[in-house]
Amino acid sequence: MFFQLVFRIAALSFFAVVPACSTLPESGSVSVEKAPQHAVVTPDARVPDVPFRSATPSASTAWKPLLAKADQATNRGDYEQAMALLERAQRIDPDSAEVYLGMAKTHSAKGDDMQARATAERGLLYCSGKIQCDALRGYTR
Amino acid sequence: MLRTSHLLLKLVLVSFVVGGLFVIYLDARITATFNDKMWDLPAKVYARPLELFAGAPLSPDDLSYELDVLGYRPVTSARNRGEVSRFRNRFEIYTRGFDFPDEREPGRRVLIEFSGDRVKSVSASGGGIDLMRLEPVRIGGIYPQHGEDRVLARLDDVPLSLRQGLMAVEDRDFNQHWGFSVVGISRAALSNVRSGQVVAGGSTITQQLVKNYYLTSERTIVRKLTELVMAVLLELHYDKDQILESYINEVYLGQEGRHSVHGFALASQHYFDKPLERLGLHEQALMIGMIKGPSLYNPQRNPKRALERRNLVLELMAAQGVISPEQATVARAMPLGLNKKRRIRDSFPAFLDLVRRQLRRDYRDEDLTTQGLSIFTSFDPLLQRKLESSTTIVMDQLDPRDELQSATVVTRFDTGEVAALSGGRKPRFAGFNRALDVRRPAGSLLKPATYLVALERPREYSLATRLSDAPLTVKLGGAKLWQPKNFDLQSHGDVLLYQALAKSYNLASARLGMELGLDSVIDMLARLGVEQGVPRVPALLLGAGEYSPMDMAAMYQSIAAGGFRMPLRSIRDIVDANGTSLKRYALEYDRTASIQSVHLLHYALRAVVREGTGRGVYRYLPENFAVAGKTGTTNDGRDSWFAGFSGDLLAVSWIGRDDNGSTKLTGGSGALKVWAHFMASASKQPLAYRMPDGIQPQWIDNRNGYLTGDGCPNSRMLPFIIGSEPTQRTNCSPRQSGPKSGSGIKTWFESLFGGGG
Repeated sequence: MFFQLVFRIAALSFFAVVPACSTLPESGSVSVEKAPQHAVVTPDARVPDVPFRSATPSASTAWKPLLAKADQATNRGDYEQAMALLERAQRIDPDSAEVYLGMAKTHSAKGDDMQARATAERGLLYCSGKIQCDALRGYTR
Repeated sequence: MLRTSHLLLKLVLVSFVVGGLFVIYLDARITATFNDKMWDLPAKVYARPLELFAGAPLSPDDLSYELDVLGYRPVTSARNRGEVSRFRNRFEIYTRGFDFPDEREPGRRVLIEFSGDRVKSVSASGGGIDLMRLEPVRIGGIYPQHGEDRVLARLDDVPLSLRQGLMAVEDRDFNQHWGFSVVGISRAALSNVRSGQVVAGGSTITQQLVKNYYLTSERTIVRKLTELVMAVLLELHYDKDQILESYINEVYLGQEGRHSVHGFALASQHYFDKPLERLGLHEQALMIGMIKGPSLYNPQRNPKRALERRNLVLELMAAQGVISPEQATVARAMPLGLNKKRRIRDSFPAFLDLVRRQLRRDYRDEDLTTQGLSIFTSFDPLLQRKLESSTTIVMDQLDPRDELQSATVVTRFDTGEVAALSGGRKPRFAGFNRALDVRRPAGSLLKPATYLVALERPREYSLATRLSDAPLTVKLGGAKLWQPKNFDLQSHGDVLLYQALAKSYNLASARLGMELGLDSVIDMLARLGVEQGVPRVPALLLGAGEYSPMDMAAMYQSIAAGGFRMPLRSIRDIVDANGTSLKRYALEYDRTASIQSVHLLHYALRAVVREGTGRGVYRYLPENFAVAGKTGTTNDGRDSWFAGFSGDLLAVSWIGRDDNGSTKLTGGSGALKVWAHFMASASKQPLAYRMPDGIQPQWIDNRNGYLTGDGCPNSRMLPFIIGSEPTQRTNCSPRQSGPKSGSGIKTWFESLFGGGG
């Protein structure tokens, strides 16, 4: 309809003319803490920096249930959901070779061999034990 | 006579047709827009949710801050959603719950106990909880040009007294009329005359909605007529509840900075920091009263006038039986009860800026500002607080006169997610976002690209290759010459490759780069993620070009991740207004450099902080906390850079002046301090030593790079790509067999940086 067309053009030109949106912060909302704390915080000073060719013992296995769910998602072909769960697991424990393995598996099931390979290669940096490392190596060939 | 009536008939017909067309047009406008986009809903931007589980590296104070930012009320016993009680290292939290893109996190009462800086246990009345997450902090919105924010309310959520009070004041016959009310207009006129002031307007709620929604505020007959017609049409198409609900969400109730406050639900949060359902009568009356003049009766600016108006509304409500006279009396005695808390919204302008830019690659502005999208980001308020604190503390020490600027990008390099960002020294002020927008030479921050090209040619180069640091002259076309200098203006003779990088020797680095070829260095920068602003000139080898801290974060991200390039992501998921996932920004690894070569580069970057230009980091970090990094200084100290990573975080810091003048700082005396101060408070994990396949450590003589043995003079163990070991050997025989036995490896690791300290 003619009127609608005119209206649309008018609306469009309005948006084109109005300057881009910007936001102003509220000065001083939530004050910044003063204490430097670096003298107090000795991050993991107790943990020796030695792990040689072996994964750091993971802080927690809280992500295990996520891996199980991701497995189920992969099996029913919901790769997006599986990857979302695996990425959440990875954020919880970025050094887990098992999570990398799950990711490589999912990429591979999806048919993305390039990603499967790259992910497995990265996972190899974190694997421990022959079985785990070999499983990852399987995706790098 | 006949002719005249003919003409008249024609005129009447034409005006009917024109009028009819106009009505059809108005009708089309109403049905087209009212249905699917009742209101423009700006996209909401969320921080990452805080994950809670036994063993989580989190301090009680960090949890306390997160809850504070989320607006939890400290109480002695958490009985309602949004309350927390803390007793030392024990938190009782009644969470609010949240609909995440993948699943719903229920609201529940949980007990969190800490042991030191780790979560010891997470439990609910039913037993232990493996894993849970708090709702994410809302850090801002993507607003349309006119700057509106909105929180939608369903009619069922609106207290009855508020609905009835609204009608009592604004439109007494709302449930009877057809869009306009002759009775209403005359009654309004009468009561205005009687009280001698304008207490009520003649427009119905429907008319006001039409006016707010479709029309300008000019006062002409045509506009008034259009409003009437549209109001009637609206009543024809929609029932009273729909119209009332729209009105309740549309009504304008003041400004919050540049954003206008529309709708009772948002106003309720803005003025009282409460959801609509929990408003008292006095608060409801205040909001109803504001409709007539949102700025005139703004309780923050004109408290006295607002109070009078509120009490008038309460009187009207009592007079019409919405509330009892006793209720009115009690409510009149109440103070205004305004929210004193400042809001956190848009307090992180630099990060929001990054999110917006990433969004605009995939979405139109209009969709972002109208569709009510939820945007889940990787922003970490705890890291941001530490970054802001470190920036402020260090910059105030370095430059009390407040002339220098600073910017830092923080990522979690395992996933390539940007976690915190400061775009200037005053991070809470929007403005020039230096983290994304400065374009500066990077000095020695670029050098690792040259060294990585060399290390990818294991037949020619290893960490122990001898490089000449003798003076160098490069012909640049014409009669021009390029003669780089070392920072100390000295030449250091022959040095091992890893030492040249650790001590950031310009002559050795430039000579190496010229040997390898500028194109191979440019290619390496591109592979690592730096594709813009790289000039094809020899000075590139010492950092010439135009780079932002974000560019450098991309480069060091690839290095930290072991030679895997991944896009720096700030957004995880985008979900539409119905909770359906629209887009997920997936993690993707792209291997762009050999893992083994990057591993060797890591060694050299560790040497930077142990025995090279970056030693200053250990004035902040514990001695045994392994990190790797690189300093960068540009001509006349215009830019001070530091880039580096620990086991969990990568950060790139920059200090410079907006006028590009000298800072009188080097990378080591400036940006390094911001970086190290931040890492000391934020990083939870030192850089572990993970040796990939195909690497073999060897003892070498640190002076000449020859193979030697354990216990020999100047012996030091370096990692080599198998087959790239030096062929020459000192005549010192090894004390013990080799690095393969367990004790050998241990010794090797301990002696990794034996000369450092």
